[in-house]
Amino acid sequence: MFCPRCDKDKAVKFFEAPKDKSWKLYRCRYCDFVWRSTEKDSVKNKDLYPSDFKLSEEKVNKMTDKPAIPPLRRA
Amino acid sequence: MPYNDLRDFLSKLESEGQLLRVDEEVAPEPDIGAAAYAAGQLPNGPALFFEKVKGYDAKKVVMNAHGSWRNYALMLDLDKDTPLKELFHELAKRSDRFPVPPVVVKESPLKGIIIRKDINIFKELPLFRINEHDGGPYLAKAVVISKDPDDEKNQNLGIYRIQVKDKDRLGIQASAQHDIAIHLRKAEERNRPLPVAIALGNDPVITLAGGMPLQYREDEYEMAGALRGKAAEIIRAETVDLMVPAGAEMVIEGEIVPRKRTVEGPFGEYTGFYSPAMRQAEIKIKAITRRKDPLIFENLYIGKPWNEQDYLLGLTTSVTLYKQLKAMAPEVISVNAMYCHGYGTIISTRSRIGGYGKIMGAKLLATPHGLAYPKFIVIVDEDIDPFNLNEVMWALVTRFRPDRDLVLIPNAPGSTLDPTGSPRGLVTRMIMDATKPVAPDIPLESLSLIEPPEEAAEWMERLKGLMK
Repeated sequence: MFCPRCDKDKAVKFFEAPKDKSWKLYRCRYCDFVWRSTEKDSVKNKDLYPSDFKLSEEKVNKMTDKPAIPPLRRA
Repeated sequence: MPYNDLRDFLSKLESEGQLLRVDEEVAPEPDIGAAAYAAGQLPNGPALFFEKVKGYDAKKVVMNAHGSWRNYALMLDLDKDTPLKELFHELAKRSDRFPVPPVVVKESPLKGIIIRKDINIFKELPLFRINEHDGGPYLAKAVVISKDPDDEKNQNLGIYRIQVKDKDRLGIQASAQHDIAIHLRKAEERNRPLPVAIALGNDPVITLAGGMPLQYREDEYEMAGALRGKAAEIIRAETVDLMVPAGAEMVIEGEIVPRKRTVEGPFGEYTGFYSPAMRQAEIKIKAITRRKDPLIFENLYIGKPWNEQDYLLGLTTSVTLYKQLKAMAPEVISVNAMYCHGYGTIISTRSRIGGYGKIMGAKLLATPHGLAYPKFIVIVDEDIDPFNLNEVMWALVTRFRPDRDLVLIPNAPGSTLDPTGSPRGLVTRMIMDATKPVAPDIPLESLSLIEPPEEAAEWMERLKGLMK
């Protein structure tokens, strides 16, 4: 299924309400966005997800590491 | 008496009218975040105890436990209406007892349930998204324990945001200016994982100490013991070589995967802005130990000031900086570092010599917290209360001379959460010396302060009596 945040078809259902199955949880295997079936449409619908928070491969590739990964120590 | 654990503290809050039980079933989103935001906005805001979270049995949620000065005073076992100034002085006095070494215990309800396989954190905790555009559910009040790979005795406690990404996978913000980043660098240079333990639902003073910007070699457990008036109790973790708070509701044990960064965030931060998604470190969970049900999940609303995060961090940051500055400069009177985790800091001091205020600002930058946080720094005289913003503004508009008293330090380290960073993580630091110039500096044109009339004090008492 499609991730509302990055639009990739990489999302899966991975948990549901243990007591009564009243909600389901989904996560995107690309960008790790997690959402619940009971949240508002602007969170779970990719066409309504706010553009300022949308992610793309281009945006992810431009991100810097925090903290920076240090050089390996020579033996 | 110090509290043994969070439950002890919640009982006290309830007996003092500072805890509200929410009996109705709440949706994880948006109810818990919205209610917690509201509680933090209330004057004398209570802790909120959610009895029923939709979809879960036997899990409770607590929010806003530190979210008012009344709760804060009760945490220190003081009268709930203790004024802010007294809280400051009490914290300063207690911190003088540091170090109070912790006591190791062999048993604890924390070990009631131990899970080493088929780990699913979503089953154990009623996780929820705090702010609408966060990247997922977060642990915002977790105390993270780690130690220096080169110095086994050098253990650190810190509060770092943790994104829950999967059943056994977490993201962690290990910002470069914090002690855990030193531990992580040393581990990653050797391509080794860094063991961590994440303690949730702690004695409120453990959480308080975890958020204090102590020196690298200072132990937060020893500070917690000083502040609570009794040694903290700690117990060995099961799968990592770390000591964890024995009174916690839950401890998540795992390790930071070396040399790996994945998308984390966004997250609504103490600046009042969302910090955007970044590539941050990841934790693989190895084990969970917890109390038996009903379990209490304590979390924190974080967002635009003022809210619980400001109560949790503001006064202890001020007191820590005050102590560190006092060790360098006996002239320091008081420090107010309560604005956005110390981005705004006001120091009251006597001036030893002309230009002293500028050097006091420089001394602030030399503290651990000064590395990346204070960037709007105001220095005022001993007759100005740094917690009284009317007085601070008065000092600025009558004593500060921008052509002589302004110091800018461009391209200096800053928090990556600061929206003014350019680029992110680099800011200009500013010192405004609003002290009256002393010799050999050029004096102000007029030095004759208007003193209150001698008889005013007596009139004050009479008028107060008439107003009753």
